[in-house]
Formats: sequence, structure tokens, C-alpha cells
Amino acid sequence: MVVAVNTTFTLAYDVYSNVPGAAVVYKYIRDSHQNDPVRTLLELVFVVVMAWYFFNNKPKAKDEVKLTEKEIQDLCDEWEPEELVPRMTEFQNSDLENMAVIAGAAGTKCKLADGKERLNFASNNFIGVMNSESIKDKAIGALHKYGVGSCGPPGFYGTLDVHMELEQAIARFLGVESSIIYSQGFSTVSSVIPAFSKRSDILVVDDACGMAILKGVELSRSIVKFYRHNDMKDLENVLKKINESTKKKPLTRRFIITEGVFQAHGDMCNLPVIMALKEQYKYRLILEDSLGFGCVGQTGRGTPEHFGIAPADVDIYCATMANSLSSSGGFCAGRKEIVEHQRLSGLAYTFSASLPAILAVSALEALKILEANPNLSVECQQNAMAMREILLKAGIPQIRVADGYQTTPIIHIRLTSRLSTREEEELVLQEVVDQCIRDGVIVSRAKYVEGQELHLPVASVKLMASAGHTRRDSEKAAGIVRDAFRKVLKAHRLA
Amino acid sequence: MESFSNTNSSWPNLRGSIATNVFVLVFLRMGLGLIPGITVEAAWTITNLLYYSITFIMFHWVLGVPFALNQGEFEDMTLWEQMDKGEPFTPAKKYLTVIPILLFLISTHYSHYDVPTFGINFIALVIVLIPKFPSMHRVRIFGINQKSNTD
Repeated sequence: MVVAVNTTFTLAYDVYSNVPGAAVVYKYIRDSHQNDPVRTLLELVFVVVMAWYFFNNKPKAKDEVKLTEKEIQDLCDEWEPEELVPRMTEFQNSDLENMAVIAGAAGTKCKLADGKERLNFASNNFIGVMNSESIKDKAIGALHKYGVGSCGPPGFYGTLDVHMELEQAIARFLGVESSIIYSQGFSTVSSVIPAFSKRSDILVVDDACGMAILKGVELSRSIVKFYRHNDMKDLENVLKKINESTKKKPLTRRFIITEGVFQAHGDMCNLPVIMALKEQYKYRLILEDSLGFGCVGQTGRGTPEHFGIAPADVDIYCATMANSLSSSGGFCAGRKEIVEHQRLSGLAYTFSASLPAILAVSALEALKILEANPNLSVECQQNAMAMREILLKAGIPQIRVADGYQTTPIIHIRLTSRLSTREEEELVLQEVVDQCIRDGVIVSRAKYVEGQELHLPVASVKLMASAGHTRRDSEKAAGIVRDAFRKVLKAHRLA
Repeated sequence: MESFSNTNSSWPNLRGSIATNVFVLVFLRMGLGLIPGITVEAAWTITNLLYYSITFIMFHWVLGVPFALNQGEFEDMTLWEQMDKGEPFTPAKKYLTVIPILLFLISTHYSHYDVPTFGINFIALVIVLIPKFPSMHRVRIFGINQKSNTD
């Protein structure tokens, strides 16, 4: 026993005297020891921690699989790349082949490839100014003065006097402090949402909102809560739940997001209730009014005007200029701070070339026409009402027309009984569309990017009312659509 | 591949940041030593505490980045957590862990701390070391310094 202890000590001493630097360590420990073994022990712990951290390396993934060269080779040989562009289905192919092609300029009436002129109810030309002579004249003037494109983002020599004029004109028209022009209608709201709402901010979104809003919501990386389409009780429930779950947590930015006129349903949001709830729960409102601006309300000032609310009370008001204004691009209107913030933080504004002058001038001219003829909006609504009335009174139980708000210009006609597949429904509706085109009215099915919508809306035939049509033309067109439905449904024995 | 780099947290990986650390420490200790009437123990303790508190505030207390980056991805993360995409045991994290410990060991060697002074230095070092452990990644003990509401 004693011998064993002794040999151990001798061995230890041998190691000590043979390892270089051991004397330094010994001296260090002796000097630091200061007759207090606890301190030395604590220091030793630190040395161990230091060594542990220094010599440790990144932990390897536990489920890492080691493959041999042969296995790797086999896997590579087996691999077949997925097609870059997925093969189109038979339905998609026929859809493409049978697409109506417009020859020449589009307008309230337009010629198809066969040379026959037809009434156009498939364009978002709500106040009927598409390709009007005065806009064409102004556009030609702008083309001669400014050329074709701006080739620069607004912050880098892309801003022209006409852009600033248009921004002021829109702000004046809506009665808000300021507005900002985007060069793409779709990316306006997709850019506005992430400009204000960041990670850990809260968005409350109507679940019938279209792809532009959904993309913006996705890009913002915020916390998203959806409420059932136009269900104000559900909205309040969602707001209450959020309030409860964030009671003790720091305040974040919060927004309610809705479309003014819903593209998928043709109805309007319940703006007065939403305004009341946003005040009560201290949210801001982002209103996407692409289908309402210009054609809803007594003078075309959109969904807010329809409900007697000043557009200035809506915190962030977005719309495209491609619909009512028959141009291109979009705008966002609101208080000065809201607009100025976007000039550096609205990515679609900062990093896109500005709207070509020719389109800005066209939009400005269309806005002037709308301002000078405030009844254009009412005419569009009356046409929409007349068309809805004919379709509602058609007495075809197999079709359904959204009739919550009769005045919106977008009319969806759906089948009441669902067929076995969506494709089958679309085929029936396409027959209706083809029949209408044969009878002299251009209409279209509502088309969506499947898999990109939150809830894919039920298939429908879409009619766009316009102030450019006379009342008689509108009624005639509605009659043709009604008759086409009757005929096709009868042929399919659905009637 | 990184789609963008977090410029707020990449500087500890720069060449020369170790040398800067050492230089600052030597400068601090010598500067304090020049003040007349100050004892060796006090000079070392002040050097330790200053270094510990400054690095603690820089690496483990201040949250987020001073500019807008990736929709606020880093807004509830300390600099230590942002560094090297949150991976532990990277070279920068190694030297930033080793330096404070070495500093402590050297200071105990060159001075004769009494028990309270030793205790102060010891506790300060422990506080600085705790958030450096990999298991403390994104952990907020007792909710201290908790910022955002993760849903």
C-alpha cells in the first residue's frame, strides 16, 4: 500500500520534471494560492471552463448519416430533377388555346380576332375612360415631352413633375394630406404592409383578401390572425383574444387589413363597424380599395365615401390606378408621416423604376375626368344594379349572384350546387363564357392562382359593370349572360 | 449561403479584434496604475469590473440592431446571440470567453486580494460567463431583459 502511494508520487514527480513549463505552472499556483485552498479550487474551475470552451467544437447533428462513395453515386444516378415548369393539365391547355384574343385597342367595345365588335364586360374599366380620346391626346403629348420610360427609381432621378402633380391631385381628390405613387398596382399593398408591420407586430386580416394582401402579409413576417370574411363578431373575438394574450407584453404596432370591395366576392367590407372596432382596440386600418376607388360612393371616392366616412380617417388607403383610372401603377394615401415613411421603406417604391410619365399623365387625366363628372361613379353603380336585378330576377335556381351590396361594379355568378370537381365547374362556366362571346358580350371566368389563395373562392363567371356602357347595353348584356346560363345548364341537364 | 450579412454582429470576427481587446486591457491597467495612491488590488479590480461590465452591456444586454434589418429579425437578440448565426464555439466566441477568465487568473496572480475583493471579482466573472454558455442561447433567466412577445 505504502509502496503504491510512493510510486505514484514518484511517477507524478517524474512527469512534473519532464513536462516543459510545469515549473511555471507550479510557481503560478504557489503564488496565487495564498494559503487559501478554496480560492485555488475556484480558479481551477475557471481553468477547466476555459479549456472546455476553448477545445470544444460545434456539436454535430445527431441524425447525420454517413454515406459511402458508392451510395452517394447511386443516389446521384437515381436522381431525376423535377420539371422546372410543371406540365399543364388538359384543362389548362384547352383554357390557353381557347382564350379570347382582342385585336386592336380595348375599350367598352372591342374587336376580337374574328373582327366582330362586342361589348366588353371583362375589363376593370369602371368609369369607362379606357382609351378615351382626351386621355389618348394627353398621353401622346407626354410621350413627345418625356419619352417612354423613366429608367430610374423615384429616389434617383425617376421622379418627374407629373408624378408629383399626380400625387397632389390624388391627395386633393381624396381630401387627405398626402399620397405616394407606386409603379405597380399589385405590389402597392404588398409593399405598404411590410413597410409598417415588422416581426412581432400584429396583423388582423379578413380571410377573403386577395393575393396582393396575402403576399404583403407574408413578407412582413408579422403575427397574423385571420377573421372570417365580413364577420364583425369574429373580428371582435379575434381582437379580444389578442388583447388578452398580450396583456402584460410590450406594445407592438397593430393593423386591421381589409379590402374595400372584395375581388373574390364583389361585396364590401363593413367599414363603419371596422372603424369603430379599430378605435376601440387601438388598431390602425389598411384599406385596399382597388375595386372601390373611382366607382363606389357618390363621387367615386371609394368605400369610405359609400359609408359616409372621410378617406382621411382611414389610416392607410391603397388602390391601384389600373382599374378606374385605366392607367397603371398604384397609390397609397394617408397622413404625411405615413406617406413620407414609404419613400425610404416602401420597397416597391424605393427599388422599382418610377411609373412611366405617359401612364402618370393618363392617370392624371382620368382623375380629372372623374372629378369633372362626379356622376360617372353613380352611372357605373346604376349599371351594376340593373345587371344584378336582371340576373337575380332571372329565376334560375341553379345560379347565385352575390347581392349583399348591389352597387359594387363586380358581379360574380356562381353555381348553387357544387359539381364533383372544380375543373368540371370551370368547364360548365367556360361554356357559358363561350356562349356569351358568341352572342356578342365578352365576359370571363374569375381566375386564381390555385395554391396561392388562402381560401380558393368558388368558381364563378365575372361581370364588370362600367359607366362606359349605356343602361340598355348593360341590360342587354345581363340578358345574354342569363340566357347563356339557361342554355348551358339545360344542355348539362342541370336545370 | 447567406442572403445578407448582419453587419452589426460580424465585427468580432475581424482580424485585429483580439489585439484590440488586449490593447484596451493593457492600456486600462497601466492607466489606472499611473494614478497616484491607487493600490495594485484596486487597479486590477477596477480593470476587471470595467472590462466585465462593458462587455456584458455590449454582448449580453443591448438587444437588436441599430438599423432596420430583415423585418426586425434580430430585435430580441443580444449581440452574442446574433454573432455567427447563433452557433457556439466559434473562434470569436472562444476568445471572448477566454479573455475574461485569463484576465481574472492574471489579476489574482499579481495581487493579494482580501476575501471581499476576491468575492467581487469572482461574482462579476461568473455573471459575465453565464450568458456565454451555449445552453443559455436565447434564454432569459426570470424574464430579465425580455422584450418581444413571441406568439
